[in-house]
Amino acid sequence: MGIKGLAMLIADYAPSAVKENEMKNYFGRKIAIDASMSIYQFLIAVRQQGVQLTTADGETTSHLMGMFYRTIRMVENGIKPVYVFDGKPPDMKGGELAKRQERRDETEKALKEAAEAGNEEEVNKLTRRLVKVTKQHNDECKKLLTLMGIPYIEAPCEAEAQCAALVKAGKVFAVATEDMDSLTFGSNVMLRHMTFSEARKMPIKEFHLAKVLDSLNLSHDEFIDLCILLGCDYCGSIRGVGPKRAVELIKEHRSIEKILEIIDKQKYPVPEEWPFARARELFQQPEVSDPETVSMKWQDPDIEGLVEFLANEKSFAEDRVRSGAKKLLKGRTGSVQQRMDSFFTVVSTSNNATKRKAEEIQKNKNAKKPRGGGGGRGRKPK
Amino acid sequence: MFEARLTQGSLLKKVMEAIRELLNEASFDCSENGIQLQAMDNSHVSLVSLNMGSEGFDKFRCDRNLTMGMNLASLSKILKCASNSDAITLKAQDDPDTVTFTFESENNERVSDYSMKLINLDQEHLGIPDTEYSCVVKMPSADFARICKDLSQFGDCITISCTKEGIKFSVAGDIGTGNVKLAQTANVDKESEAVTVEMQEPVSLTFACRYLNHFTKATPLSEQVQLSLSADVPLVVEYKIGEFGHIRYYLAPKIDEDD
Repeated sequence: MGIKGLAMLIADYAPSAVKENEMKNYFGRKIAIDASMSIYQFLIAVRQQGVQLTTADGETTSHLMGMFYRTIRMVENGIKPVYVFDGKPPDMKGGELAKRQERRDETEKALKEAAEAGNEEEVNKLTRRLVKVTKQHNDECKKLLTLMGIPYIEAPCEAEAQCAALVKAGKVFAVATEDMDSLTFGSNVMLRHMTFSEARKMPIKEFHLAKVLDSLNLSHDEFIDLCILLGCDYCGSIRGVGPKRAVELIKEHRSIEKILEIIDKQKYPVPEEWPFARARELFQQPEVSDPETVSMKWQDPDIEGLVEFLANEKSFAEDRVRSGAKKLLKGRTGSVQQRMDSFFTVVSTSNNATKRKAEEIQKNKNAKKPRGGGGGRGRKPK
Repeated sequence: MFEARLTQGSLLKKVMEAIRELLNEASFDCSENGIQLQAMDNSHVSLVSLNMGSEGFDKFRCDRNLTMGMNLASLSKILKCASNSDAITLKAQDDPDTVTFTFESENNERVSDYSMKLINLDQEHLGIPDTEYSCVVKMPSADFARICKDLSQFGDCITISCTKEGIKFSVAGDIGTGNVKLAQTANVDKESEAVTVEMQEPVSLTFACRYLNHFTKATPLSEQVQLSLSADVPLVVEYKIGEFGHIRYYLAPKIDEDD
């Protein structure tokens, strides 16, 4: 699942690379969304009393529910989403996938025990862990998107890599995912919490790769090495090297090869036959479709088709489907608000931030000082 | 050392009102030429550019160029404590952490001072190219404010069309449509009430009401407002600040897009 501890590391070392924003400020932007990740989220999160939503026959519909409403919310906010589905996993991910399977098996066992013991809370928790996105889920979502007039792309391999390629080519503004390896794949802007429920009131976090690299003073290749050291999906990492150590090592030696030359192998056992070079290559040159050739077309929703599919087949309430479709249609009509940055170019960024971050928070309280300067200041305990 | 004194303190209060709704925070750039500010609103649809030349201040001293980042909600609180007739003095050290505001009443009987912590802002400066606009319209600012307010009741966006006869504002919404036409005034008794149109070629552009209404908060600053339009570029709404400065609002248009 992405890069271990990267979000935390960025927050510590490069706070200026992260901005919080509201969804409505992304209007007019094209945004690539990691579909598998969001379907997975929906399967876990869209529930009633801890159980997935289903049709009368017991067919799961949580993913459709999530996809339908969250997509509508984005369209209402003027965002143009394009979903990117995973292709076949890269060979290198085999190890990670095997590990995940192992964990699933364990969880299944634990679930059985919990069920026998009648521990409802535990059962609830464990069933969520067992959620898996199947081909059927994917296919249903694709069908839904087509009916909604929202484009999707099938990546030849990893969806994140394809998303990153789209951002790099300027086809979309950003990638929306929770997986931090989008940054490793080189997408300049990454958004977290985009597909979260509105009720959670979670601000969208915007990560800027260029600023991350700038603050850490690393090149992109060095950043990839750092991510491999932190722990990625494709190979192991050096035991005992945590985020702090990894940053220090990369800053000093600039590549994994150099680090291997100097590191104390007794203290930090390097995995045998460590395929870090292949992992690096995967990040540098992932298998993606050429962004120039993929077509993204937003179309009017097929209202009757949506009613047929969601209301008749999947037992959604018909009136809700219709009103949702109406919102989609409304989002498409009307002219598009342009942004300032598409007319004027940025000439300089004044960025002398961070030193007074803490004060900023307190600022509101302290803004109005009593007159005369004396009273406000001398409040230290004696 | 930075020091700027403005006898007509109400001007500063009005400037504050003019930007407060659009921006949460902004950095003021001070140099020997005066005080400048450039900032975009959160959604990056509009941009405010403020310029107050040093010659307009009763006293102006700026030894080193400074950038002072301020939280505008806090600044507004402080300026609310000044009476309209007060003279306002701003003071800051070189490389400041705080800025001090001193308010003196007309007869000097009451002097208050407030200091405010500055913040560091991460702001992008945009290069604004000099543009020859197809249409430049001058009209009474109160009239512009009224039109924006009236029309925004009916829809989200106003279309501004400009021909050599005059300027037309129109809106279409769920309940119907609205149009306001202003003709170029032929003979003017008072300059402040004139409507003048300088046109190279006719233009018609659509803008979001919400931002226009934010701009009209600058109405008290000046009796006239100047609108500059060209096809497919941002609208410029300019108010003069006394004899020595201006506040310009840039607003990106809404454009029909098909993909």
